Amino acid sequence: MLLEVTSLNAFYGDLQALHDVNIHVDAGESVALVGANGAGKTTFLRCIAGLIEQKRGGIEFKGNEISHMPAEKIARLGITLAPEGRMLFPSLNVEENLLMGGLSRRPGYWDLQSVYKLFPLLAERRLQMPNTLSGGQQGLVAIGRALMANPGLLLCDEISLGLAPVAIDQIYASFVRIRVEGTAIVLVEQDVKRASSATDRIYCLLEGRVTLQGQSRKLDTEELTRAYFGT
Amino acid sequence: MVWIGTIINGVLLGGLYGLFGVGLALVFGVTRIVNIMHGEFIALSAFIALAISALFPSAHPLFLILPVVVISFALGYALQAVFVNRSMRLPDPMAPLLLTFGLSVIVRNLMIEGFGVNPRSIHQGDFGQLSIDVFGVQIGVLPLVTLALAVVLFIALQLVLRRTEIGRIVRATADNSEVVRLMGVRPSSVYNIVMGLSFALAGVAGLMLALRTTFTPFSGVERLLISFEVVVMGGLGSFWGAMLGGIALGVAQLVGLRLNPNSGFLYANLVFFAFVMLRPNGLFGARQ
Repeated sequence: MLLEVTSLNAFYGDLQALHDVNIHVDAGESVALVGANGAGKTTFLRCIAGLIEQKRGGIEFKGNEISHMPAEKIARLGITLAPEGRMLFPSLNVEENLLMGGLSRRPGYWDLQSVYKLFPLLAERRLQMPNTLSGGQQGLVAIGRALMANPGLLLCDEISLGLAPVAIDQIYASFVRIRVEGTAIVLVEQDVKRASSATDRIYCLLEGRVTLQGQSRKLDTEELTRAYFGT
Repeated sequence: MVWIGTIINGVLLGGLYGLFGVGLALVFGVTRIVNIMHGEFIALSAFIALAISALFPSAHPLFLILPVVVISFALGYALQAVFVNRSMRLPDPMAPLLLTFGLSVIVRNLMIEGFGVNPRSIHQGDFGQLSIDVFGVQIGVLPLVTLALAVVLFIALQLVLRRTEIGRIVRATADNSEVVRLMGVRPSSVYNIVMGLSFALAGVAGLMLALRTTFTPFSGVERLLISFEVVVMGGLGSFWGAMLGGIALGVAQLVGLRLNPNSGFLYANLVFFAFVMLRPNGLFGARQ
């Protein structure tokens, strides 16, 4: 097992955002995390990445307990988060943004060359600043930057939010290539249909609890709707 | 001809003022901390230079640059690592400001305790008095060296920030100190280096100040005001803006002194005031 999260609780001050969440990810697997706004999907990803300190429970990555590690140490172990809103560095051009992703110098397939091969458009725009790119192109930079770390586990937080369908298609197409290189993916996604068609397994969160889990392809729509809305 | 000389000397003085400001601008740009201690450190590095020159009385004063830069960098790095990073973890954004304010009071009084309040100067042979004659205008060699040094340091800083990996990390950390953690960067380590660089620049400024004039433990407070004005005129975080701001203040001060020898820093402050009214975001700051 690549990632094993056991009874994870997370807090923002007095507010509890996650309640006894159990989620696991196998090596090379792709897992979707769906749920309404405020269900705790982003909180979950930020806990794994080490950005939330107020938490209880076990997070094991490749056999290492990481729940008390700072984010920068977790990153060097091979977990990469592509954060919500893409969060590119506005003062750095495209190539510099990508190079930031490769700082941990983890060995593997992904480097500037292979990222440019995956997204040839970025090679053309390598010296442009991020704010001169379209949202879809920025999404590609965010994925490319995350890949540069050669992660064992890639966490994508609503990477498709606000993008044109054709841009979303391109990003999802790249996931296939990314998994060939052995990277497991956890996707947080609003679009349940797209999430289930692109992943092996799916978890549904509601108010900080896992309300449903199963094989993405065998999921019953009615059951998922109930788990999603809590009706 | 007298006026041309005044303006040229003002520009040269501006190089020193630009040096005062650039370290402050660097720290503010990356950490968003207003470092009240900056002025005290300019004075402290003048005393450090004095102490070193007492150890090596025969060395040329410009050779002091290397030890002063090394010591200053180490002090800045240690200050950030031991004190400021801790204060940045507190929820109150005022904490780092109050910390540097408190430290400035402590450092100033330690300097008074250690060196006394009498004006001091570095013995430097006749280097400080050398001047060259350019078409009838007397230009001091030391101010000329100061401006050249400032320009070289500005270009070097710019190259480090634009072209090196550490520069890329510094810029990215300034943009978003949380996201860099996802790439394995510890922001506090970056802040240590940035504060070290800022102190190294302030150290050079303090040394050039010490070669130019006498100084006391109170010299820093006066220079802090200049440093702030330079940074604000340049536009927060802009280095070349800081340099141009420094030059504007230097020219205004010397022209003012020629108009009225008792005016001190008054005219420079008036120029600053007018400038802030006309361009509140500075030379290179974004317009709203």
